[in-house]
Amino acid sequence: MNTDSPASGTTAHAVLSYPQFLWKALGVATDGGPLFYGWMTALTAIWLVGVNAFAHQTVHGQGLTAMTDHVSWGMYIGNFTFAVGLAAGAVMMVIPAYVYKDKEMHDVVIVGEILAISAICVALSFVNVDIGRLDRLWHMIPGIGRFNWPVSMLTWDVIVLSGYLLINLHVVGYMLYMRFLGRTPDKKWVLPFVFLSIVWAVSIHTVTAFLYSGLGGRPFWNSAVLAPRFIASAFVSGPAFIVLALQLMNRLTAFKAGEGAVQTLIQILRVTALANLFLVFAEVFTEFYTGGSHVAAAQYLYFGLHGKNALVPWIWTAIACDVFAAIVFLTVDPKKNLWIIDVACVATLFGLWVEKGLGLIVPGFVPSTLHELVEYVPNMVEWKISLGIWALGLMIFTLGLKIAVAVFTDAMHVEEA
Amino acid sequence: MSTDRRTMMKATGATLGAAAFARALAPLTEWTEDLSVEGFLQRHYKELSRDDMAAVLRRIEDQTREEYGASVHVEDVRPTPGVQFAYALNLSVCIGCRRCAKACHEENNHDRATNNSYIRVLEMSNGSLDLEHGNALYDHEVPAPGKFYMPVQCHQCDNAPCVKVCPVEATWKESDGIVVVDYDWCIGCRYCEAACPYHARRFNWTKPEIPAEEINPEQAYLSNRIRPQGVMEKCTFCLHRTRKGRLPACLEACPTGARVFGNLADPDSEIRWVLENKRVFVLKEDLGTQPRFFYFFDE
Amino acid sequence: MTKRLLALVLLAAVVGCDHGFADPSREFGPAVPDDASLHPVEVHVPTTLGVADTPLVDGQGRPIGVRCATCHGPEPTLSWAAEEGAPTTFHEAVDLRHGDLSCFACHVESDRTKLHLADGTPLELRDAMTLCAQCHGVQVRDYDRGSHGGMNGYWDRRRGPRDRNHCVTCHAPHAPSYGSVLPVHPPRDRYLEAPTAPGSHAEGGH
Repeated sequence: MNTDSPASGTTAHAVLSYPQFLWKALGVATDGGPLFYGWMTALTAIWLVGVNAFAHQTVHGQGLTAMTDHVSWGMYIGNFTFAVGLAAGAVMMVIPAYVYKDKEMHDVVIVGEILAISAICVALSFVNVDIGRLDRLWHMIPGIGRFNWPVSMLTWDVIVLSGYLLINLHVVGYMLYMRFLGRTPDKKWVLPFVFLSIVWAVSIHTVTAFLYSGLGGRPFWNSAVLAPRFIASAFVSGPAFIVLALQLMNRLTAFKAGEGAVQTLIQILRVTALANLFLVFAEVFTEFYTGGSHVAAAQYLYFGLHGKNALVPWIWTAIACDVFAAIVFLTVDPKKNLWIIDVACVATLFGLWVEKGLGLIVPGFVPSTLHELVEYVPNMVEWKISLGIWALGLMIFTLGLKIAVAVFTDAMHVEEA
Repeated sequence: MSTDRRTMMKATGATLGAAAFARALAPLTEWTEDLSVEGFLQRHYKELSRDDMAAVLRRIEDQTREEYGASVHVEDVRPTPGVQFAYALNLSVCIGCRRCAKACHEENNHDRATNNSYIRVLEMSNGSLDLEHGNALYDHEVPAPGKFYMPVQCHQCDNAPCVKVCPVEATWKESDGIVVVDYDWCIGCRYCEAACPYHARRFNWTKPEIPAEEINPEQAYLSNRIRPQGVMEKCTFCLHRTRKGRLPACLEACPTGARVFGNLADPDSEIRWVLENKRVFVLKEDLGTQPRFFYFFDE
Repeated sequence: MTKRLLALVLLAAVVGCDHGFADPSREFGPAVPDDASLHPVEVHVPTTLGVADTPLVDGQGRPIGVRCATCHGPEPTLSWAAEEGAPTTFHEAVDLRHGDLSCFACHVESDRTKLHLADGTPLELRDAMTLCAQCHGVQVRDYDRGSHGGMNGYWDRRRGPRDRNHCVTCHAPHAPSYGSVLPVHPPRDRYLEAPTAPGSHAEGGH
């Protein structure tokens, strides 16, 4: 996808053509073949099931979920953590594209930014369905509510997540709109934001890590290595997702990504997958070598504790997937056996979803601060809402890409009156 | 497919989708029955004027009458100047009867279905303070041989992690040391519950259910009025009693006198004597929370 | 540039500072004068003082007690002893488990309605706490300082009175060891079963 100067310039008015842009985008978003309609209908159906479950949860309270006073965060916050990582990892394309001026990467970097937008929407949705009183969200608005910044890490998280969403919306929106208008994007409206997004991506996941690692009462989380672990795993999940997305786009759309982009991402994955495994190992060593009662949560996760072992098969499958993926990235030649790399990407995405999602949140609460063992297994309501939100995220991602492809292949462009 | 047919199909799809969406959200109409405009617009506790507060209290009383069928009296009880509360618990004397937990349950209008209480009594083995071997679910004659009993409730920490992490300042430490929650300001994110090292905070996972005749009608805005669904709550040292000079309900219920409560600022108080003459300790001292709840043994 | 920076700092200050009470008069309740006189502390003397249980029980299963003075008082009345079902052995239900003490360590031999201190000073039954204090000084010191025996009423005696227990309310003088009780039911948390660690043997509900 060539995002450089378009074939011809236009004289369309920058502001007044915007409604046309939106209208045409709507048209592109609802136009497609049977596969597209089937995909979007299925996603919409899943999303509506989630919406309905969410409506029930709002009325009857979160008692409908499997969360308790012992394990008071579960599926939603686990998925939130993973989604923030995915959003942060999308920036891994920006670095080679803009810092190292990799041409082929530059053409596809918008895919990463659209992933960032979708993943942030997913993350924000997960946080919002976890809030006990959604009608009181206005209490967080500084000035009219009370915003406990800078002391509460949650306030930092609100700022950085919203900021990251806005930055990426701006960059994507601006690039798409300029191309739509047939104009050359003005670098001063793009480059500073792009470089800011690199720093900001690191910050969103660091702040999310600090949410957990700052709590002295939760020794499983209260570790300095949590923030580096988050960054490392973000930089695995993001590129892995994009490697799969780019190949799907090549197959299913008019857009053809250059081979180089996928190769660069796989090179990145070689390093980051190992870094992630190393940090997990460092954490596991410190826990188990020291021993004592602070290792109880890690014991529960990896080996089970006092007969409670619901998470044990999950975490070992996840570790196996991560190890498998790391080995594959290092040894398999992507030019010859790209399909094995794809399997590894799926495997590591699953592994990270477990290891950084439920496999991080739940052991923080097991055992509880009074050392009571209450297990947590998400129930139907939580599954429905979670799948619904992921479906929404995939919808946003699909539509974002569809519009981007249409714009950059000049299929969607401004019509001057 | 021709453009017109395509457009018509899109319109049909959109209409069906909108209808499905409305249907999916249908349960929400039940929810709006519990909400009110004044409730939605209510400011933070510290920003209310006296008149605002009076109106809020009246509204709460009306709501309680409507929803629970009980006439209650809700006040805004403020700290007495020069008072600093602290609580001590005598582990040599506590027999683990849990009457304190029951009194708390009744005094604070907890949900009946879950038998909720702010106090959790741990049965510990002699010779170890390791909470790993504590058990809150014992159901046999007490005191059992070789065991001692440790009730745990909110310690009203001077350096409370829950106060630090709240994104909307719905929980704060008052001048007499009690850490309170504004139930009408809390957004229910449960970050404070994750932060508390003592399992002191409770969340209203559902709307509390209490029969009208069991409701304690003497209530305060910041303590034992019936809390709405989706907000946090915790032990408030019975501030609706203690700020008027009375003893907390758990202390009065204790048959052995294991609990000692009073004003740290008064050199002649019972709590000062205990802190100065008994070997007191606090739970998880290394976390730096600086609790106002002390434990001691007689021997 | 500096103006923008200043504006930002000011905004941060507004946003980040802890606002106190909008109406400062709401922050505190009424003050209590330091020199207010203290309300009294009342110690409840239990009605079981000076009563010996018999094996007989009343309609509700409570043991029927006999006042010591009935037999040991200035005018003993023994007519009830002739009734059908009356106990035939004296002090049958008195279960003496108070260390190695004998009856006369506390009771005056010639006048069983009185107690005596170690130096022989006679003591009314209702003043038994002084006698307990003789040997159990540590507990009585703790009791006086509020850390033994509980209380009802006010922690702040400038504002209200307080009730205390008598030693004998909880500790029967002949068998003072505090007995065991059945506790209030454990909490009914969802999903919490009793821990299966060795050494804990309670079975909890689901």
